[in-house]
Amino acid sequence: MNLIAFSLLLSVTAYSTAGGVDFGAGIWDLLAGTSARGREARALIDHAMAPVWEVNNVWLAFAIVLCWTGFPIFFQSTFLSLYPLFSLALIGLILRGAFFAFRHVADDPRSHRIADLVFGASSLLTPFFFAASLGAIASGRVGIAGPSQSVLAASFSPMSISFGLVSLAATAFSGASFLVGDARRYGAAELVGYFRRRAVAAALVLIVIGSMALLTIALQAAPLFRSMLAGPGLPFVLVTMILTPVVAVLHWRGIFRWYRVLTVAAVGSMVMAWGFAQSPYLLPGQLTIEQASAPPATQALLLIVAAALLLVIVPAMALLYYLDQRSALDVPEA
Amino acid sequence: MTSTVWLAGESALLPSRIQMAFTLASHVLLVPLGVALPTLTLLMEGIGIARNDPVALKIARRWSVVMAVQFAVGAVTGTILSFEFGILWPRMMGRFGAAIGLGFAIEGLAFFLEAIFIGIYLYGWERLPRRTHFLLGLVLPPAGLLGAFGVLSANSFMNTPGGVTLQAGRLVDVDVVAALFTRALGYEFWHFLIAIYMTAGFAVASVYAVAWLRGRRDHYQKLAFLVPFTVAAALTPVQLVVGDLSARALVGDQPAKFAAIELTWRTREQNPEVIGGLIDDAGDVRFGIAVPVLDSILVGYSPNAVVRGLTDFAANARPSTVEANIAHLAFDAMVGLGLAGAALAAWYFWVLLRRRRLPDSVWFYRLAALAGAGCYLAVEAGWVTTEVGRQPWIVYGLMRVSDAVTSAPASFVWTMLATLVAVYALIAYFFVTLLLRLAARWRREDEKSPTAPEEGAPYGPRPARFPELGS
Repeated sequence: MNLIAFSLLLSVTAYSTAGGVDFGAGIWDLLAGTSARGREARALIDHAMAPVWEVNNVWLAFAIVLCWTGFPIFFQSTFLSLYPLFSLALIGLILRGAFFAFRHVADDPRSHRIADLVFGASSLLTPFFFAASLGAIASGRVGIAGPSQSVLAASFSPMSISFGLVSLAATAFSGASFLVGDARRYGAAELVGYFRRRAVAAALVLIVIGSMALLTIALQAAPLFRSMLAGPGLPFVLVTMILTPVVAVLHWRGIFRWYRVLTVAAVGSMVMAWGFAQSPYLLPGQLTIEQASAPPATQALLLIVAAALLLVIVPAMALLYYLDQRSALDVPEA
Repeated sequence: MTSTVWLAGESALLPSRIQMAFTLASHVLLVPLGVALPTLTLLMEGIGIARNDPVALKIARRWSVVMAVQFAVGAVTGTILSFEFGILWPRMMGRFGAAIGLGFAIEGLAFFLEAIFIGIYLYGWERLPRRTHFLLGLVLPPAGLLGAFGVLSANSFMNTPGGVTLQAGRLVDVDVVAALFTRALGYEFWHFLIAIYMTAGFAVASVYAVAWLRGRRDHYQKLAFLVPFTVAAALTPVQLVVGDLSARALVGDQPAKFAAIELTWRTREQNPEVIGGLIDDAGDVRFGIAVPVLDSILVGYSPNAVVRGLTDFAANARPSTVEANIAHLAFDAMVGLGLAGAALAAWYFWVLLRRRRLPDSVWFYRLAALAGAGCYLAVEAGWVTTEVGRQPWIVYGLMRVSDAVTSAPASFVWTMLATLVAVYALIAYFFVTLLLRLAARWRREDEKSPTAPEEGAPYGPRPARFPELGS
């Protein structure tokens, strides 16, 4: 795996973890219901997402730019084969952005309810269909310069659907896990318990769905399965398999240490496991990273951009998170 | 475009072009305030700090809320555009991604910086020391500039591709600097940059021109009108020069586009400048006003300068007459609006410099109230000119739009287009509602107490505890 491919995988991982937390919050928003407790949960979700969700979304834009600049042929092949998946993910993305903003505008209860509903429902669409596209790529049904079968068969397969389901469970899991932290920050004791229970439940669901997905990979993409369990994917598979239950136990026992970092590590490792297991192929069995790579000069510029990202953006992002957390801590007790 | 394509629904070319035009035209509306409003806001904040003027700080803070809402919507519509390159034009990116993508990679970096520092700037009001807050905000204007550079570099590559080596249609080598800085960038960048600063300035000022017309004449209104209007008015004459240079550069860089803009059918000397009018397939121009030999003089400073016509190019390598008409009328609209803006700017500076005060004519403020909308129209017209004028090429001379288009069925793209139109209409409705509601709230607050600080604006600093949990 060269540095550009690694940067691409990192961007996808960053989006899945950072963006995933936001999508997960949206899922819990959808499931919060109309009870008093549900309304409190929704208020917390609103509050936790507002400052950072746009920054998280930039990872997606960056991944796509790295993809078409660094691996143009791969980009073309993927979009020619999987445009239905990307279109659905995209529709989810706009609806979610629009209705998240609209929640702040709507003042009568009915339109507020509609805004909540669309916001929540679209939080299901995007993580499902983006992850499904990774599953479709892993299934080998994306051919060079077009689908090897029909577009529908390439887009909707056991692999793509199981990747999508894993993504939903993983975002729900990481969303709940982080909301525990937000509830603690704002001193909302009841909501800490509320989201702890949900984090544990989501972890269990994730373990079940994840195992079923592994089975699907074994049946549908044997070479990928081999390198996940006996190749470069293995360390990441192990990290996920160990950390997901560990985080569940931390929440179960109410131990509020390390759980957020470990959540990110657990979810991020799933993406890494897929990426490393599939390497050196971008399209399994058909197109390697080397074959798809842009000319060296382009790669050099991309490396400079990636380095700038590391040197400038990461510290700036740390500053934003720091200020965000500090401002919450600054609050005098009511 | 033949009508059979529309009816048979075999190729997705037509709906793809409409979808791209629709989403791009929508996104372009958000760009001026997205890129240039931070500068105006910082200018206002700087005035507030330097003169210790709480009104200026309040204006800056309110603008920053508008800036953030804008940015949020622009981030969404911009992300859609990047996916459309894959969904609608996968073959362009497949062949030229390694070159076009360079500008977008730089833009991605700038996008990150803007997203982060808009967050910091917004949440830092009253939380960070004033000077620190201002200094952190200073990252925003150059980040916006860098982003605009990236996007315009990509668009310039499509207009005047360079820095690439092709073998049998495959891109085998890229000269990064040459591909980033193609010929068109030299004028496109400055032309667009000035355009968005003018638009932001006139658009923001138009809000306070309306306030003046409604009878509000306090320090707040005056300051909020004066700063953006002065910036925009000062740029207007510069834009006339840069715009003229841009049009002139097309003569050499994209002669077919220039012929379309000027509705020149046959190559000739003493070419008239056609204002308005429509050309038909026989090359006859109707309804327009032709100023004799002016085009030749503008192009070559001589009545006998030769101007190339559309028929100089093969029929499949030049804009169709429909496209030429669209590009021509868009160009005329842009130039007309630019000249109108220059007249308004001249009026403004005349009063300001001669009488040492702001104009007090109702007609001046009526026109100033329209200037913002006029600028948005001009920006749209400019994009129509450059994009439609480049047809049938997606990358000028190297790849046709029809060779870049997706193989998705037309029905799929039509469906997606319909969905996007519906969602964009909703977004536009929310966006306008939100801004109007903010404006109404600010007016109410100002009537109660003109100097009270802001609280609890959406996207603004959050209240201490979220309300539903508050005691």
